[in-house]
Amino acid sequence: MKKLIIYSLGLLTCYHLHAQVPVPAPDQAEPILLKGATIHLGNGEVIENGNVGFDKGLITMVSSEAVDVAGYKVIDSRGKHIYPGFILVNTPLGISEVSSVRAMSDHAEQGEYNPNVRSQIAYNTDSENIPAFRFNGILLAESTPAGGIVSGTSSVMELEGWNWEDATHTKDVAIHLNWPERMRGDFDYNTYTYSRIPNEKYDEEIAGLEKLFDEAKGYLSLSHADKNIKLEAMRGLFDGSQLLVVHTDQAKTMVESIKFARERGVQRVAIAGGDETLHIAGFLAENKVPVIIPAPHRVPERDDDDYDLPYKLGALLTQKGVSVTLSHEGMLGNSRNLPFYAGTVVAHGLGKEEALKMITSNPAAMLGISDRVGTLEKGKEATLFISEGDALDMRTNNLIRAFIKGKEITLDGRQQWLYKKYSEKYGH
Amino acid sequence: MMKTGLATALSFLLSFSVIAQDSFPINGVKDKRANAIALINATIVTANNQVIENGTLVIREDKIESVGQNVNVPAGYVKIDLKGKYVYPSFIDVYTNYGLPAPEQSGRRSFSGPEQIASDTKGAYNANEAIKSAYNAAEEFSIDQKTAESLRKAGFGTVLSFKKDGVARGTSTLVTLAGDNDNTVMLHAGAAAHYSLNKGSSSQQYPISAMGHIALLRQTYMDAKWYQDLSPRPFTDQSLEAWLASQHLPQIFEATGWMTLLRADKVGDEFGIQYIIKGGGDEYQRVSEVKNTGAKLILPLKYPDAFEVEDPLDAMSVSLADMKHWELAPANPGILEKNGVVFAITAADAKPGDFLANLRKAVMYGLSKQQALRALTQIPASMLGVYSRVGSLDNNKLANLLVTSGDIFEADTEIYQNWVQGKLYEIKPLEDNRSGEYGLQLDGQEYNLHITGKSGSYKGEIKVNDTTDLAVNVKFDNELITMSFSTDVENKEKSLWRMSGWSTADGFEGKAEGMDGHLVDWSATFQEKLVKKEKKKEEQALELGNIIYPFVAQGAVELPKQETILIKNGTVWTNEEEGVLKNTDVLLKGGKIEKIGKGLSDKADRIIDAEGKHITSGIIDEHSHLAASSINDIATNSSMVRIGDVLNSEDVGLYRALAGGITTLQVLHGSANPIGGQSALIKPRWGVAPEDLKIQGADGFIKFALGENVKRSRNTSSIRYPQTRMGVEQVYVDAFTNALEYEKEWKAYNSLSAKQKANAKPPRKDLVHETMLEIIRGKRFISCHSYVQSEINMLMKVAEQFGFRINTFTHILEGYKVADIMKEHGAGASSFSDWWNYKWEVRYAIPYNAAIMHKEGVTTAINSDSGEMIRRLNQEAAKSIKYGGLSEEDALKLVTLNPAKLLHLDDRMGSIKKGKDADIVVWSDHPLSIYARAEKTIIEGAVYFDMEKDKEQREVIKKERARLIARMKDAKKAGAKTSLRSSAVKEDFHCEDVLGWETDLSDR
Repeated sequence: MKKLIIYSLGLLTCYHLHAQVPVPAPDQAEPILLKGATIHLGNGEVIENGNVGFDKGLITMVSSEAVDVAGYKVIDSRGKHIYPGFILVNTPLGISEVSSVRAMSDHAEQGEYNPNVRSQIAYNTDSENIPAFRFNGILLAESTPAGGIVSGTSSVMELEGWNWEDATHTKDVAIHLNWPERMRGDFDYNTYTYSRIPNEKYDEEIAGLEKLFDEAKGYLSLSHADKNIKLEAMRGLFDGSQLLVVHTDQAKTMVESIKFARERGVQRVAIAGGDETLHIAGFLAENKVPVIIPAPHRVPERDDDDYDLPYKLGALLTQKGVSVTLSHEGMLGNSRNLPFYAGTVVAHGLGKEEALKMITSNPAAMLGISDRVGTLEKGKEATLFISEGDALDMRTNNLIRAFIKGKEITLDGRQQWLYKKYSEKYGH
Repeated sequence: MMKTGLATALSFLLSFSVIAQDSFPINGVKDKRANAIALINATIVTANNQVIENGTLVIREDKIESVGQNVNVPAGYVKIDLKGKYVYPSFIDVYTNYGLPAPEQSGRRSFSGPEQIASDTKGAYNANEAIKSAYNAAEEFSIDQKTAESLRKAGFGTVLSFKKDGVARGTSTLVTLAGDNDNTVMLHAGAAAHYSLNKGSSSQQYPISAMGHIALLRQTYMDAKWYQDLSPRPFTDQSLEAWLASQHLPQIFEATGWMTLLRADKVGDEFGIQYIIKGGGDEYQRVSEVKNTGAKLILPLKYPDAFEVEDPLDAMSVSLADMKHWELAPANPGILEKNGVVFAITAADAKPGDFLANLRKAVMYGLSKQQALRALTQIPASMLGVYSRVGSLDNNKLANLLVTSGDIFEADTEIYQNWVQGKLYEIKPLEDNRSGEYGLQLDGQEYNLHITGKSGSYKGEIKVNDTTDLAVNVKFDNELITMSFSTDVENKEKSLWRMSGWSTADGFEGKAEGMDGHLVDWSATFQEKLVKKEKKKEEQALELGNIIYPFVAQGAVELPKQETILIKNGTVWTNEEEGVLKNTDVLLKGGKIEKIGKGLSDKADRIIDAEGKHITSGIIDEHSHLAASSINDIATNSSMVRIGDVLNSEDVGLYRALAGGITTLQVLHGSANPIGGQSALIKPRWGVAPEDLKIQGADGFIKFALGENVKRSRNTSSIRYPQTRMGVEQVYVDAFTNALEYEKEWKAYNSLSAKQKANAKPPRKDLVHETMLEIIRGKRFISCHSYVQSEINMLMKVAEQFGFRINTFTHILEGYKVADIMKEHGAGASSFSDWWNYKWEVRYAIPYNAAIMHKEGVTTAINSDSGEMIRRLNQEAAKSIKYGGLSEEDALKLVTLNPAKLLHLDDRMGSIKKGKDADIVVWSDHPLSIYARAEKTIIEGAVYFDMEKDKEQREVIKKERARLIARMKDAKKAGAKTSLRSSAVKEDFHCEDVLGWETDLSDR
């Protein structure tokens, strides 16, 4: 017995010093009212000196007037800013940890057509990226498979939970498709430059996709056929319950892929593409196709482009009526800068509240979860945070409290613990 | 018209061997015949562009016996009447591999396999496989009939042939394109020595970068000199022996464009060698620098195909630079001529079949015919010192000449004959061109007959009126002609005339048969030559675009000039004790900061109203890879390579960096090796030539690297030492120990008297040891790529052991764990703000790193290592406010004053202080805010980036693109070849990139 106690103590000590990630928070125990803050609703509106109340995980009030606060634990938030939790889409969060370590990557399955592989069940709630992302305001993520032509099925996950079941916000929201390229890369070893030349296999690759989609559609209406888990996994595309996200960088293939999907009865399509979305902005707006663009923090795709094209792309598309969602490509750990991507869009032509939509209500609407998250409205989930200042600017993005479905989560993670540890060592 | 009997004479000549060597065995009886020929009545153009009308050229055996207007043809010579024809000296190409086997394919070098550290060449040759100086083309040369024929068709008679393989490529041989005998065609066995910056078939790992090739060349020059001075030789190196033996020959260097041309010339200058440099066809883009090399050039006529631009979406992926080059490439020779650059022309890099067309295009685009001919005859001959034998039509020179239908630089001129060493090679039968306008008399009617085209492809047409033409089938067979046509378009079969005839003094005559079966007489009388319409069109179109600097879309005709600038009423972040000053003016004069204060006035060239704006000193990036053609070489100790050798002024990344407020950057070698190459400190002076980017008088720096990259962790079959952090330490200890030994040897040698030296062996100069010594002696400073604390600590201890200090740890993501030790050692830090978790060794990187190190008293900077992040380093600095609570002023110093200190430039840059360089940024907003944009970036008083000007430039780019797209479409309509492809995009280098193809954006 004595031995057991010592063991337990030892475990506890270890836990505090070396915990991988913070302890998940318990469910909301009492109604909470955040009082007197600047509230950024996420739908383009701001309420100055307003209040947000929530109970049992759901928002009970968002108001600018004095309200009945009986029974609420009041948190004075004067001078602070409240935002809906930011949503990071199209990310390997939870299924890839350190990209250069093969054993730590679970985001790209073998094979070309993998609609049936699902990120939800591989989502690692102990990923060390999670606390670092939360620290900057990202509270929801679309954990997304990559690779092949049909990469797999993504799920929206909360950045909190003991296990993937706990952390699931909405499972199986979208299937991701990497559209074949009309022009393929050609590397010149003499000059170490890339150029693009016509892809000889394009028609063949498209034929493969046509076959897959046509056969899936046929299969789903056949009265008896052998069970096919791949085709089964595509059901949601045809009944509208799932989004098809097409990844392609060329304007022509964007148009082709949208027509392809529409012709085959795919109900909801989004495009994940770069600068060329701008060339067909009218088409995208007219067809109500939402667009996921990569981080503005990248260089222009072409030498001749305006140096600020990636910065202003989001603003230009929005001005043409396209619903834009910001995302991150490349080193996963840097996705924590998502709020600053929206800030960059502000610096290059869009209002702050409009830019905020690109990481809140726009992704929520695109993923079909806007009835629950994406804006601060009565009845929606209390997934939100309080920041000392403007959360889109790194100078003032400073989270004080954050809630996921009303649960107040721990903001500090290992990075903060190490900061404290060494500050103490040096006596700073 | 052609004289009868000539055809017989020609067939006789064709079958007869001009020269035979007496020493060769004969199987039969001796059958040596005289080769005695006189070409008469020709228009003879000598290489000096003297034109001899009605000239005679007498050939005896393989040489020209006499040439001139009043030359007597001795008895017994076969006369060939060339009335109306032209005779030119045949062309010389000094850049071919004619008659040599193709070099082994170099193929792709795998980076996933084990490295090849040493040379694979068997035998007593150089330690580096790319030094192939022992190769002697004469040993392998053998006539290649097929290639000879295609080159003769293009007008060539003499070529220099070498093997395009290696950095040192050995010697070439000068041969004629006669087809009979390997012995007689070879004019000069060892004609020139050849070099390049391409290791070719060598599979040895080093060198792998542009700068590595230069370093190898440099070391080889030094080795050769050392080897030469030693008697007896310390060992046998046949490559060095051959190298030394070929130094007196013309030294020919292959460049691939103006940039490598300048690099090659610079290496030559270091060793007192003036190379003859083969260019790449883009020399017009930096013509004054090219001219200043003083090098004679060998120019290819390489014109890119037009891009397919019909589809506007496709056309967007074609860069303005590529379109401009498409337009200007044919003007390259003309522009160089106007600037007084001496050059020969080669058929290399394009199909031999296109050579004449390309040459004529160059003439149309401004190359004078005189220079064109000299560049193909006299100049190449003189380059090789063989002008006494070939290159003009003078007595006693080889009878290497061309017979053409007219001026060889005109579009329709045909080469009929190519004579090589007195031997005739017929290209086309010698005949008059039949094209022209004829009056055709047939059956009492007069028709207007046009014959167009040339031998073998004539077309006929009868002009009825402006809208109606009758097609005429026409065929010539020497003196005979066959024609047919229908007089009634509506009723072709019934109105058909079939005609047969023969040539007369002024046209043709003969018999014609109509549908009624009767034969009637017909005749056609030559009236005049047809005027080419297309040619006129082309001439009209010859309005070429401007040459811009640099040669990319954002370049300009004029470079920014240094001005006196008064910036009024800004919020000035001084980075000095004064702190941030509101409503303050800054005066910039003579490239320096002249005054800071309120209410300043000056007759400035430019006044900038900065009310509501912020003024900071320019942003400085301690760690960048912009503007370099290569980043990594691969030797464990690569300290001999220099980024400064391979700067690329045309990198659009520089412009984008300017737009983010960058005024100084260190271009570092990559992190593939424990000891990397030497870096270059530059200012992004957009538009200047590579050398002018450099900061004059800056200290020398070098890259070191630790950890996963140098252990080649991602290559599981790597065998390169070191594979562990333990080995990495030993690499350093070994390098510094050896350098000290080396220093001792030299000291001992240098202390000898001149007399003693004569008997002593001098030590070998070694670029690696020299660089390591510079480090130990405090003349070169280390910036070390580093992540985990153990290795950071280790390197400081190694440095202390050898008595110096590490200047900067770059990246240094675990610096926060050893900040106190760094402080004590005196090392600075240059870190990422928040990068982490992209590989194992950065698992414990924290964004508080910079703040902790700064608070501990370490000079700390934030760097980019990225062509993207360099555009907004101010924002990265701002993260240290969020992570670690630095003051705003301290945060800004992370990307201004502190990197200036790390680069030893803080006496000149990094703050707004009187006397410092006028490197200034005007920001639209608080410089640490995400909402701030750099509106103006000023370097030494010259405005290199201006947001307003940038907007104007966008319009210029659009207009110029539209103009060129229209031209390309015209060209396509006129039959030019087009191809659907995008422009090439240069990789954005990161420190782990080996030549750009190991790029993985998810891994630094």
